[in-house]
Amino acid sequence: MKKRGLILLVVPFLAIAFFVAPAHAVDSIVIGHPAALSGSYAKAGEQAVGGVQAAVDWVNSVYGGVNVGGKKVPLVYKYYDCESKKESVTSLLERLITTDKVTVTFAPYSSGLTLAGAPVAEKYGIVYMDHGGASDKIFTQGFEYVVQTIGPGSSYHVGTLEMVKKIAPDVKRVALAYEDSEFARSVMDGAEAKARELGFEVVFKRTYPMKVEDLTPLLSDLKASDPEIVIGGGHFQDGQLFNKQMADLDINVKLLSLIAAATLPAFGEALGDLAEGVMGPSHWEYGVTFSEEGAKAAGMTWIGPSQDEYVALFKKAVGKDMLPDYHAAEASAQVLALVLAVEKSDSVDSDVLRKTLGDLTFMSFYGGWDIDDTGKQIGHSMVNVQWQKGERKIIWPEDAQTAKPVFPKPDFE
Amino acid sequence: MIFEQLSGNLLQGLVLGSVYGMATMGLSLIFGVLQVVNVGHGAFIMVGAFTSLMMFQAAGVPPVLAIPVAFAIGMALGMLFYFGALKPLVSPSGSGIKSLDMRAVGMGAGILVALLVVMRFLSAAFKLHFAITLFVAIIFLYGFLLYIYGGRRQDKAPELATLLVTFSIGVILEESVKQLFTSEARGFNWAIGKLDLGVTVLPYTKLIASFGSLTIAVLLYLWFRKTRAGMAMRSVVEDDVGARVCGVNVDWQYALSFSLGIGLTVTSGVLLTMFIPVGINPYMGGPYTLKSFVIAVLGGLASPYGAFFGGLVFGLVENGSYTLFAQFQGLEPFAMTRFFSFVMLLVILLLRPTGLLKVK
Repeated sequence: MKKRGLILLVVPFLAIAFFVAPAHAVDSIVIGHPAALSGSYAKAGEQAVGGVQAAVDWVNSVYGGVNVGGKKVPLVYKYYDCESKKESVTSLLERLITTDKVTVTFAPYSSGLTLAGAPVAEKYGIVYMDHGGASDKIFTQGFEYVVQTIGPGSSYHVGTLEMVKKIAPDVKRVALAYEDSEFARSVMDGAEAKARELGFEVVFKRTYPMKVEDLTPLLSDLKASDPEIVIGGGHFQDGQLFNKQMADLDINVKLLSLIAAATLPAFGEALGDLAEGVMGPSHWEYGVTFSEEGAKAAGMTWIGPSQDEYVALFKKAVGKDMLPDYHAAEASAQVLALVLAVEKSDSVDSDVLRKTLGDLTFMSFYGGWDIDDTGKQIGHSMVNVQWQKGERKIIWPEDAQTAKPVFPKPDFE
Repeated sequence: MIFEQLSGNLLQGLVLGSVYGMATMGLSLIFGVLQVVNVGHGAFIMVGAFTSLMMFQAAGVPPVLAIPVAFAIGMALGMLFYFGALKPLVSPSGSGIKSLDMRAVGMGAGILVALLVVMRFLSAAFKLHFAITLFVAIIFLYGFLLYIYGGRRQDKAPELATLLVTFSIGVILEESVKQLFTSEARGFNWAIGKLDLGVTVLPYTKLIASFGSLTIAVLLYLWFRKTRAGMAMRSVVEDDVGARVCGVNVDWQYALSFSLGIGLTVTSGVLLTMFIPVGINPYMGGPYTLKSFVIAVLGGLASPYGAFFGGLVFGLVENGSYTLFAQFQGLEPFAMTRFFSFVMLLVILLLRPTGLLKVK
C-alpha cells in the first residue's frame, strides 16, 4: 500500500519533469566548483576562486553574457569549500550536480583531489574541467568528461630543453634529479623522453625521497657525471636545498632548472645571490605578453581581457591588493574555454559540450588552449622564469619574453 | 673513482653526523632523567633555526653568535613548559588543578576574555603580534588557575599523558611560529668560503657547525662526569628514590634537565642552519624528530653523549651506503640507504639491546 502510494506520488512529477525539461530554455550557465578554500591547498584555492570570479565578471559585464539559444545569458558561479579533503570533494560534487543542477563542474586544486572527484562527474556524465591537477595519471584512467587547462606534468621541462636546443645546440649532457612523488616523477619521465627526442644525452637520472634533509651524496654523484644541464626538483623546501647544496659542492653548470620552488618569490629571498641564473617552469606569470595582436598573427581565436584588465578584475574579485598567480590564471582560462564551447555548439548538453571542447583551440592572456582525445592539455606551453639580479624574468618562450635568457648560468660565487 | 666518491661522501657523512648527534643529545637527556619521550622535539629544533634566521636577517649576526641566545631561549622555554605543563605529570610532588568545578571554569573564561581585551590594546600599542599576546594571556591564566585551585596530588599520570603533553607543546610552538612568520620556506646566505679537499668540497660553515657540535658534546660530558651538579643529575638517572634519600632535590633536577635538554635542542637548530640555511619553516622539525629517535636508540636511549656517537655512526652509514648502492645499476640508492639504516638499527639492537654505549 505504502509503496504504491509512493509510486503514485512520484509518477506525475517524473512526467512533468520529462515534458518540461526539454522545453525549458537556458536562462543561465552555472559553474559548480568544490573549491579548496581551507586546508593544505587554501592558498592555491583562494587564487582559483578569485580567478574564476574575475573571468565570470568579465563575461557578464564586458563580454555581455554567453550567447546561447539566440540570447545572451549570464554565467553563474556556485562554489563550496571542500577543505582540501577528498571526501568533501565527492559529496559536494554530488550536491552541485543533483541539487544545484549546475551546467558544468570545475575540479578542485591538486592532482589528488581532481582524481577523487572525477568518478562522480563520470557517473552523472557531466563535463569536469581540471585547472589544478597536472599529473598525467588523470588521463590514463579512461575518464570521458575530464578536460584539462593546466599543462600536464610531462610537459613541464619541454620548453626548457627546447630553449637549450635552440640557443646552444652543442650542449648535450643532461642530468635529471627529481623528488620521488607522483607529480615530480611524471615531470621527470616527460623530461627524459623529450631530452632523448631532441638528441640530448641523459648522463644521470635519480630520485630523492620526499622530506629529504640532505642531498649531498646524490649531488656528489651528479657532479661526477659531469653534466652541462641539471633539471629536477619537486616542491619548495627541497628545491631550496637542491640549489644551496649545488653551491656548497661547487657544481657549476650551464643551466639549472627546478620545478615549483624556483618560480616563487621566497626562493630568491632565501637564497640571495645563489639563485642568480636559476630557472623554473611556470604555467603563467604576471608579465607574459600574450595579446590579441599576437593571437591574430598566429591565426588563433582570442577571447578574454588583456593582462592588465585581468589583474584589475582579479583584485576586485578577491577584494584585496593581491596579484594573480598561475593558479588564478588557469582557472580563468578554463571559464573562457567553457564560454567559447557553449557559444560554438549553441548547447549546454554535456556530451555536445565535451565534443566541442575537444575541437576547440583559442588564445587568451593565459596563452594557448587545446586538448587531445583524452582531455589532456596540449596547446598551452609553459613559460620559463629565470632569476636575474634578484628579480624573476620571463625568458622563454620568446613571444612571452620580458628578458633575454642568461646562458650559460653564472658560476656560484 | 669509487674510492674518491666514498671518501668524499664519508667525510660529508661525518660532518653531517656530528650535527645529527648534537640534535639528539637533548632528547636523550630528557628521556634519561625524566623518562619522558619528547615527541615535540623537532619543533624546538625549528625554534633554534628561526632564532638563527631572525638574528641574521635583522642584524646580520652570524649564526655562531646566535648559539648563546638560542641556548638561553631554550632554557627559558624548557622551564616554562616544565612548570607550566609537565611538572604536574612527572614530579612525585607535582601539583595540578585538583578539581575543576564550574566556579573555576567560569572564572577562567571571564579572566580569559578580560585578558584578551587588555591584550588586544597592548598588542596594538606595542605593535606586537596578536599570537604572542594570546600566548602570554593563556600562560598567565593557566598559572593563575594553578595558583588558586592547585594542590598536591597523589596519583601519578600515565606515561601516555606525557607523550600527549610534549606532542601538544610541539603543535603549539609550530602553530605560534606559523602565525608569526607564515608557512613560507625561508633561508639566508652566510658565505664565508669553502675548503676544497679534492674528493669533496666543505663550506667553512659546515665545519664550524661540526666543530661546535663536538665542543658542546665534550662540555656536556665533562659537566656530567666532573661536577657535583652533573653527578646529582646522574644520580637521578640511576635511581630517583635513592637520590632523594641522599638529599638530592629531585624536583629541581627534573626541571633543570628538561630545560637543559630543550636548551641543547634549540641550540642544535642554530647549528643546523649553518649546515643547511634554507627551507626554514614552522613544520621543518618533523623529519628530525624521527631521525633523532633512531639515533637516540642507537646511542643508548638515556645517554646524551652516546647519542652524539649514534649521530656520527648514522651519518657515516647513511652517506657511505649511498655510494655503495649507487654502484648497482637500476637501484635508487636513497631508498636503499633508509632500508639499510633501519636494518642496521635492528641488528645493533639485537646484539646490544642498550645501544652502542651502554649506560652503566
